[in-house]
Formats: sequence, structure tokens, C-alpha cells
Amino acid sequence: MDGAERQLFEQAVRRATTTCSGDAAALDAALDEIGWHDALATERRTAIPVLFEAQGAAVAASSALDHVVLGALGVDPGTGAGAVVLPPLGRWRPPGRLGAGLSAHGLGTSALSRAAAALVVADTGEGAAAVSVPPEALALRPVEGMDPWLGLVVVQAETDRMGPGVALAPDAWAAAVDEARLALGHELVGAAGAMLDLARVHALERVQFGRPIAAFQAVRHRLADTLVAVEAARALLGAAWDDRSSDTVAMAKAVAGRSARLAARHCQQVLAGMGFTTEHPLHRYVRRVLVLDELFGSARSLTGDLGRSLVAGGPLPAPVAL
Amino acid sequence: MDLDGFRAGLDEWLAREMPALAPGHRGAGTLDEQVAQLAKVKRLAYDAGWMRWGWPERVGGLGGSPLLRAYLGEALTSADLVEPGIYSMTEVLAPTMVDYAAPELAAAMVPRLLRGDETWCQGFSEPGTGSNLAALTCRAARGEDGWRVTGQKVWTSLAQYARRCVLLTRTGPPDSAHRGITALFVDMDTPGITVRPIETIHGAAEFCEVFFDDVPVPFDRMLGAEGQGWSVAMDLLPYERSTALWHRGAHLQHRLGRLLEEAAADALDPVELGEVVQLLAALRARSRATQHRMAAGGRLGPETSVDKVLLATAEQALFDLAQGALAGEMLLADDPVGARWRSEFLYSRAATIYGGSAEIQRNIIARRLLGLGEDR
Repeated sequence: MDGAERQLFEQAVRRATTTCSGDAAALDAALDEIGWHDALATERRTAIPVLFEAQGAAVAASSALDHVVLGALGVDPGTGAGAVVLPPLGRWRPPGRLGAGLSAHGLGTSALSRAAAALVVADTGEGAAAVSVPPEALALRPVEGMDPWLGLVVVQAETDRMGPGVALAPDAWAAAVDEARLALGHELVGAAGAMLDLARVHALERVQFGRPIAAFQAVRHRLADTLVAVEAARALLGAAWDDRSSDTVAMAKAVAGRSARLAARHCQQVLAGMGFTTEHPLHRYVRRVLVLDELFGSARSLTGDLGRSLVAGGPLPAPVAL
Repeated sequence: MDLDGFRAGLDEWLAREMPALAPGHRGAGTLDEQVAQLAKVKRLAYDAGWMRWGWPERVGGLGGSPLLRAYLGEALTSADLVEPGIYSMTEVLAPTMVDYAAPELAAAMVPRLLRGDETWCQGFSEPGTGSNLAALTCRAARGEDGWRVTGQKVWTSLAQYARRCVLLTRTGPPDSAHRGITALFVDMDTPGITVRPIETIHGAAEFCEVFFDDVPVPFDRMLGAEGQGWSVAMDLLPYERSTALWHRGAHLQHRLGRLLEEAAADALDPVELGEVVQLLAALRARSRATQHRMAAGGRLGPETSVDKVLLATAEQALFDLAQGALAGEMLLADDPVGARWRSEFLYSRAATIYGGSAEIQRNIIARRLLGLGEDR
């Protein structure tokens, strides 16, 4: 895509995420029409940031994360598996274990209950394999929890209703984890940026003591810190796309998660009573980023892991080259 | 010369010339030693060409992208060959000369700075003018054959070593604020200038008070036109937050590596450590994007305040971590290694003060980037 094409693509994606914000199936259809799935196949570095930032900004849900994981695994979603089982909260090991039967513990997007077949990446003891399973064999349990609008389902199944396992290349799952983390990092940044916009508009409109609260330094500095956090995450995501090292990707996901949590805290404080009601959209972002932070490793767990590996004598992540 | 070629050539030169380049002192060295070491390294790097790349040919440079300067500073600070703060002053002072000095003056003077023949300083802050720079009062009065400068500057880094000073003066009426400021290029050996170094908490007299008593400065030493000094200052500040900041980030990365070597494993809190590594990585990623924007000809502006907030946050977090993990060295050791950690920890407290305080950076972000209007 050249500059103009990219701009049109971005506008179309943004429009789709805004219009279909409450309906994952509708957003999937709209993305297909725009050609997002084709773009994902050929220009991942454009398709992933553009969609996931827009999806975060609109608190929309879709099966895009399934497609990112399937694409990184090298599995063609056209062959029937339109959905994939994600690891449980805070984890990133393959969600399945393959022995005599298949045991699968994890999560799925709303696409999992709609798909004809679901892909489970399973540990075989000698490596990882991809197994196709009918969704009804996965004992899917829809959950509302913190963020009912995300439409997550919990997978907790032992089954022998499955297709043959296809062995995956040794680094295929790691590549899928990296791309999922990049996608989620962009979604967190999109959500954090949208929270900042909401708080910014409120600060300019809300008058107290005879002036907009945006004139008070305590308010200004909270919002400035939020922008710094969002930009730090965005920059590190960009560096991760450039150097494609798993270390940089993990750091970018962690920083994005921490930035989004900080944005939620500061923006909720600035929006005050307004942001505490369900009549204002902020609460949905607050809920969303808590869940997104946990998927494929939270800021807390990734940061602790990094520190522990260094304390144990592991090497520092190579700094991104100029 | 492209960046890859420069990197390969420079790395090879550094490896070969390391015995000649290495400092004679252990640890951080005294300020005198650091200044002498800086002059030596600049001279060797200039003569070999490395210090000239990335600067325009009309000021003695060899042309090429400013990215080359960024990498040179990264390589020199990462190899512990120069103290990054005083090395990077060139990155602020030379662009000001390139952009605002008369061409002959820039051509005559900039090579002396690049080659390390001369140290220069920057006279901005005053006792009554810290964050509120536009209120400065150091007066330049129009005389027969030049300006006559009277007043005082403070926090002037390396003034006691400096041959020249980029000086902001009040040439308009006292209440002319940012409109009545003129930048001058002053020879520090002019009669009437008195320099008094100030000993700081980190143990080096890096900053000075500078007193001007009816000091003559020729008209052709103006940088920009009369009344244009505010633009000179505003254009210079983003340089402080771009290449200089990239160098500092590289230096912090290097010190993080040393910390991991020197600290006992059980002295480091893994979560705190992991967060410091991430903060430095985010700073580097942000600063890298700024370098590339500048190299592509982009004009740097208020968005560099984000870089500065990230630097200050990362620098203080790193040395807070070091202070806890190396408490014995930091608090009790009097050897050069312990003294260096102590000095660096104490210096890091200034990261949220110098070059526009943390509060000023956040004000800039709020007003210029978030459009939150005036704060009154």
C-alpha cells in the first residue's frame, strides 16, 4: 500500500470498528469486505497496527486476533478453522496438551462459538501440533465477567473428537505469541488514546471555580503523563516491528499494558463522577484494558519474567539499533 | 556515507585506536580529567574524520545524515570514552551556530568546537530566571561599535573551561519578554567577565555563575538578528532533547549493563529491574524515532518534551535501582568505582530539573500537544 491507499484503508477500518463496535460478527463481515483479511496475508505490519488501534479506540470486538494467530502459525483460515483457542489469562504456553486425547484449557473470542472448526495448538511432549476440533467438543462457556462486551468464552475440555494433529515448526507458536502480543499492544494503545481523548474533551468543557478544569495544573499533568505513557508504548511497538525480536515484543506488550492501566487511572480521575457512571463510555475502556493486558502475558508477569531472567544471569535484551 | 558503513568503519577504528582513546583515569575521573579526555577524543575522532560526519561542509564537516552523529555519540559513551553530558554540548551549540551565525563566523568557529580545540558554554539561566526564561534581565546595550553586556548568568556548564559563550541578553525594554531578547557569541576572555564555579551535590563543579560587567561584544557576533534570541533558544532546546538525549540513553544502557555485573543477584528486585529495562527500551525507541524524523528533514518541536520526560523517568529509575542494589558501594566506598556510582546517582536527581524541568515539560505537553489551553 502506498501512502494514499494506506490512508483510505485506515479510514475504512476505523469506520467499520466504530459502526460495528457492539457486534463482532458484523465487524468480521465488514473487515472482510474492506479486504482486511487479504491485507493481513500480505502486509501484516500495516494490517495489524491499523485494525487493532482502531478496535481498541472503538472498544470493538472481532475475530481478528484469531486470524493473526492462525496467520502466524501458517494455517490458512480458509480451510475451515476460523477460530483458535487462546491461552488462559496471563499465560502464553500452547493451550492444549495432546496424549491419547486432547486436553484444552484457555479462552476464545466470540468467533469460537460461531466457527465451523477451532484450531488448538497442543503440546505433544516432543513439540507443538495444531489440531482441528469441532467447537461443540470444547465445552465452551460464554463469560461476561469484567468486560461483557468482549464476548470471551472459556474453554475447558478433554476430548477425543479431533482431526489429525499437524506438527508445527519449532518456532511457529513463539511467532504466533509475538504477533498476538503486537496486536494486543496496539489495541491497548488505541484504547488508552481514546480514554485520553475522552478525558481531554471533558477537561476543556467542565467548568469549576470559573474556569475549565483543563486550566488546573494537577489535571494537565495527569493528562500529560498519560500522553507520555501512550507514546512510549507506541514507540516501543514500532521498534518491535522493526527488530522482530521476541524480547522487544514482550517489552512492548508489557509497556502497552502498563500505559493503558495508567491511562485508565488518570482519565477516570479527570472524568471523576462522569467516568464512574455507565452513561459515559469510559467504563467500557477501563474494563477492556484490564482484560487485554492479561492476554498473552500481563505487564506484571512479563516484567517479572524479564527481571528474573536477568537476575539468573540471562543476557539483556539487545537494544534496538539506530 | 550511510549509517551501516559509518557504523562498521567507526567500530573498527574504535577497536584499533582504543589504547590511544582510553582515559588515563579510573572511574568517572575529576571534571578536569573529563574535560581533557573529551578534548583528546574529539581531536582524534575529528582528525580521523568521524567527528566531522553529519555536519555541513561549510562548517568543516563532511556532510551526511545527523544519524551519523547520533551513532558516534552512542559508540563513544557506550565505550565509556567520554562523559555524555559534556560530550553532547556540541550537539546543542554547533547547530545554533550553523543555523544563526554569520557564515564566516560559523566556518571559523565550529571546527574548533568539533575538533576539541575549544570548550564552549551556553549562558541562558539567570538567578531570577530559571523555568521562566523569557524574563531574563542580563542587559546588552547598544554602544558605538558594539553591544555592552552587564548582568549575571547561572548554571552555566563548563564556563570555567569555555573560550566562547552563546549568551542570551535583554536588548529590548525590561518588559519586552520574549520579543526583546538577542543572542550573542561572546569570547570568554573579554575583560569584564568573571566566572565562579559552583560545587554541586554530585561532587563536581560543572556549573558556574558568570558575571558580566560592561563587556564589549562586536555587532557581528550576533546570532540571528536583534530581537530574535527567543527563536534561537527555542530552536536549540529540541536539539537538547534529540541527539544529546540519544547519547544519554545509550550511556544509561551501558550503566545498566555494569549494574548487572556488579550487583549481587539477590540484591535486585526482579520486577523493579524488569521495569527499568523496559523504561530504557521505550526511551530508546522513542528517541530513535526522533532521530529518524530529524534526519529526514523534519523540524523538531514540542513533541520532544515527551522524550525528555521519558529520559528523566528512566534515568532516575535506573539509579534508584542501583542505589538499592549497590547500597554498600554507594554509601560507604571511597574507591573510584563506588564514587562513580554515588556521583551518578546524585546527578540523576537533576534529570527532572535541567533542560526544562519535569513540570515545564508537562506544561508544554499539555498546552502544545494536548491543546489544553493556557494554565491560568
